[in-house]
Amino acid sequence: MMPTFFPLASLAPELLIALAALGLLLLGAWRGERAAWIVAEAAIAALGIAAVMLVMRKGGVGARTFFHGAFVDDAFARFMQALSLVGGAVSLLLSFDWMRRRGIGAFEYPVLVLLATLGMMVLAAAGDLIALYVGLELMSLALYVAAAFDRDDGRATEAGLKYFMLGALSSGMLLYGASLIYGFAGSTAFDDIARAAQGHVSLGLAFGVAFLLAGLAFKISAAPFHMWTPDVYEGAPTPVTAFFASAPKMAAMAALVRVTTTAFPGAAADWRQIVVFVSILSMAIGGFGALGQRNFKRLMAYSSIGHMGFALVGLAAGSQAGVQGVLVYMAIYLAMTLGTFAAILLMRRGGAYVESIDDLAGLSKTDPATATFLTLLMFSLAGVPPLAGFFAKYYVFTAAIQAGLFSLATVGVLLSVVSAVYYLRIVKLMWFDEPKAAFDAGARAPRWTLALATAVVGLFFLLPAPLVDAALAAARALLPA
Amino acid sequence: MPSLVSDYLPLLIFVALAGVIAVVLLAAPFALAFKNPDPEKLSAYECGFNPFDDARMKFDVRFYLVSLLFIVFDLEVAFLFPWAVSFHRVGLAGFWSMMAFLGVLTIGFVYEWRKGALEWD
Amino acid sequence: MVGLGQYLVVGAILFTLGVAGIVLNRKNVIVILMSVELILLAVNVNLVAFSTFSGDLTGQVFALFVLTVAAAEAAIGLAILVTHFRVKGSIEVEDLNAMKG
Repeated sequence: MMPTFFPLASLAPELLIALAALGLLLLGAWRGERAAWIVAEAAIAALGIAAVMLVMRKGGVGARTFFHGAFVDDAFARFMQALSLVGGAVSLLLSFDWMRRRGIGAFEYPVLVLLATLGMMVLAAAGDLIALYVGLELMSLALYVAAAFDRDDGRATEAGLKYFMLGALSSGMLLYGASLIYGFAGSTAFDDIARAAQGHVSLGLAFGVAFLLAGLAFKISAAPFHMWTPDVYEGAPTPVTAFFASAPKMAAMAALVRVTTTAFPGAAADWRQIVVFVSILSMAIGGFGALGQRNFKRLMAYSSIGHMGFALVGLAAGSQAGVQGVLVYMAIYLAMTLGTFAAILLMRRGGAYVESIDDLAGLSKTDPATATFLTLLMFSLAGVPPLAGFFAKYYVFTAAIQAGLFSLATVGVLLSVVSAVYYLRIVKLMWFDEPKAAFDAGARAPRWTLALATAVVGLFFLLPAPLVDAALAAARALLPA
Repeated sequence: MPSLVSDYLPLLIFVALAGVIAVVLLAAPFALAFKNPDPEKLSAYECGFNPFDDARMKFDVRFYLVSLLFIVFDLEVAFLFPWAVSFHRVGLAGFWSMMAFLGVLTIGFVYEWRKGALEWD
Repeated sequence: MVGLGQYLVVGAILFTLGVAGIVLNRKNVIVILMSVELILLAVNVNLVAFSTFSGDLTGQVFALFVLTVAAAEAAIGLAILVTHFRVKGSIEVEDLNAMKG
């Protein structure tokens, strides 16, 4: 029978974002471009309030499901939803200054960010293939538009078009996998699928899992489905790239982890080998692909491909410690990537944004504070102790070794050395090369974001407990063992 | 497979018949027709004039816009049919869920109206 | 009698055609949009076939969601295409080359 009540209170963060998106759209439609800044500020406030609501609820309520199991409210969902909200809010904050300078006074961008974030929240909490698909599409459709948002710039529209074409292909693959899973398991609910997929896995189901994982791997830009990433990151407006690199990856990774661990615990041998393959390939492509890049945004694209590979090492372990490692990794990656993109937004010379890493030459002499922050972030991305990036890798590799994946851990450590080369090259450029002309004075939002992200990354080792404990609670929600 | 053929035997005969007739009609003129070409008979006929321009003309992009807006609203209504058929079984929650859905659609409609997407000029 | 297997084969062929249309197409972006629709319809064939043969309505509900999302996806794809055409004056796949590396 249908539910006779609507779980309003339990879905408050999601409803807040949905209502904010609709209300701000109406406000913008009526007031036009005059309302652009009010809309943007209100959107950030809504994202912030929703994140606080999620964190406050952490201790109180255990796992609950709504809408016949389509929507799961557990520690894992809340953890990833909160990360997505932070990514959305910070990248929206970073967009203010950029939009003002480009003279784009459109209120649609904050609304798109809200809608995409709503999709991510549904995606991270989906307990059913239909909810997963709807959440994924709500996120993706908003992101396609956001990529092409600077519509007078040919590179941005081309980025949007490429993202759309490959994104639609990946949604199609995901759906085809979902249809096979539905057919061979007889249900779209994850727990029913788990019951059907115990023991022997039929060929149809194995195909379904492979297609589903391919679709999700595309969304987190893991190899071999990464080909869109460099072009889209380079072409899209920088604040939009910051959004792409942060929030959607949290939600898509959440969906990937939840599907594999809750819907297919019985088929672990099948999906773990796919994850190991994707992980090694991503780490390799992220490491070697970035070596020749001069464009900072393009380099960050390869960096993100590599980091998704490292995060997947934890999932390949398939254990509670592994999932915990993935969550810690994603949270730290979020801080590092938002900080780095804030630094990219500070790269402005003569009123124009520059993106080449050569423009960073000698930054330590012209702007020592930014150079120091960016250096710390680069060291953290490379995984140098005692910065947070080291601990992120430590957790996933420990989990992999505990699960007996020695070769994967060895390959991972070797490839992280390869990727360290290009991070250190940027550091060398900033400290030892001839200085270029100083950058223009930066806006407040990117400066503060950079400083804050560096503080989080640099001081993580003093107080790791809150994040690690929250990640453990979240992992426990999926894998009780 | 034999059962598949016997189930659809009428259809198979029909398709075969259609194919045969089509081929015969295409082939017959080559064999039977009386051929006596001259330049006037071979020229493209358009009310006595030569054609003015290419038949593959470009369409105004605004046609796209209108069709886009149409198809979105057209297909979202697909949810209304199952809802209407099972109306007496979905209860109050079902009713208000659909009202919320229509509310969202209306907000989208108001947005496109205010943005002037419905005006031709 | 046409069984589940036949429907799945039709779905698989349509899906492969759609993917081939995207991967092999070197000409026009509109063709890619059509291929995307083909993929989604192949999925719908699968879903409805599974739903009918297992007597479970979920698949048909899923198909309905896929249909509506496909419409929104096509609309957004065309909108981005129109925007790109306005800036660049071309929708040839070969001309999508502003970024390399």
